[in-house]
Amino acid sequence: MKMYELDQRIAEQLTEVSLNSSIQVRCGNSNAFMVTASTMIPLMQMFEMGGVYICATRGAVEIIEAFEAIGVDVSNIQFVDLVSSGILGGTEVPYNNITFVDSPIMLESVLLRTLYILRISNNERNFVLIDSVNALAIYNEERMLAEYLHTFINTFRQREVLSVILNIPDQVPPTVLSNLDLYCTDLIDRGQVVIH
Amino acid sequence: MQPATVYTRDRCITGIHGMDEILRGGIPYGSTVLAAGTCGSGKTTLGMEFLVRGALAGEACAHFTATEPSVKLLENIRQYAFFDMNMIDSGLINVFDMDVLYSWLGLDKASFDLDDVHALIKAIVDIVNTIGVTRLVIDSVTTLCYKIKSEQLIRDFLFTLGKKLATLGCTTILISEITSATENAHWSSFGVEEAIADGIIVMGDVERMGHLLRFLQVVKMRGTSHSRAKHAIELTPLGVMLTPMLKWGAVSDKTNRWGA
Repeated sequence: MKMYELDQRIAEQLTEVSLNSSIQVRCGNSNAFMVTASTMIPLMQMFEMGGVYICATRGAVEIIEAFEAIGVDVSNIQFVDLVSSGILGGTEVPYNNITFVDSPIMLESVLLRTLYILRISNNERNFVLIDSVNALAIYNEERMLAEYLHTFINTFRQREVLSVILNIPDQVPPTVLSNLDLYCTDLIDRGQVVIH
Repeated sequence: MQPATVYTRDRCITGIHGMDEILRGGIPYGSTVLAAGTCGSGKTTLGMEFLVRGALAGEACAHFTATEPSVKLLENIRQYAFFDMNMIDSGLINVFDMDVLYSWLGLDKASFDLDDVHALIKAIVDIVNTIGVTRLVIDSVTTLCYKIKSEQLIRDFLFTLGKKLATLGCTTILISEITSATENAHWSSFGVEEAIADGIIVMGDVERMGHLLRFLQVVKMRGTSHSRAKHAIELTPLGVMLTPMLKWGAVSDKTNRWGA
């Protein structure tokens, strides 16, 4: 089993957010999974939340396996995979908590699919996590992405679903980044990675 | 000072996720609404869900199918969690094959004249009246009207049918098939359906980088204010789900108006 040292300060910070918060999580290339896990694990285990994980960076299977590798069960999390439909055979997966959207450009479909999952969810408290703004920015025009994040955050804020938006700041278009600063209520900043 | 009393028409609450919000409470009771859309845009699912939501509220519903046999229609619709075959068995939703109806009426012919049209209207209205139908879907009015050769006769047929159904308190969805060929002018195949209808709901696709996103837009609805924005649709097991389409993504990559 691969060992990860989780960032406990993220868990502490999460105790201060409410369900209708929207958290911008900034990370770097090298610490992305550690930061994601440090955010997800307290939400699942400390706060007993269910959630929807929107995978735009990597396929859902890879993410589930990464969590399994550190001994974390994510079977209570639903994954919306925007990557694997672009790969022939990518949607034949051994997990039943993954649904697929054809492409990261189908932003409205992603929102509706997430809303659908939340409608059928039995969890009282939920989060939605976008992994990541950078990956969405590959396919989507800046203005549209900024508009989408605005809609997305407000949609879930209204429904008292915690939104977590993962991004690597130096790879996000400046207008999108400044808009995120405006929309999000909280910031977890692990964007600067010190390499010893 | 007391606020002025605003008269609000009674509504047929569609029960479709997002739809009643768009219509500020639902379709005005007794309206005839044209649901015009390209192939695969979700017209039949929308129509069927409209009936199912009505049946769940205890309303008697009817579906006249001219595009596909009722057996096939029901097989396709059974995959949706919102649909329950008991609704058919218990008579809350009544599905009629137009071909069977034509046979009953002796209308097995290539084209209809005025008498045939009147006989058809009478048959539909009689069924609605007998069962006490309050929600009706005709799928599709395009297929049905192909047998009516004159534009004037189509106009008469739809106008008379709509008027009689409204008198019976029946809210009707007429499904209409449109293609990109009709993009510039009409939301109907014959150019007359839209003038007769109290409401027009357009359904189609927006093409974005080679992917088709379904959309729905309420263009007209008499008797209520409503959103005229494009809404993205997703056909989920729970039924149709809607969300406003992104403003920067509401136009197809292609220049055509309603998608490919």
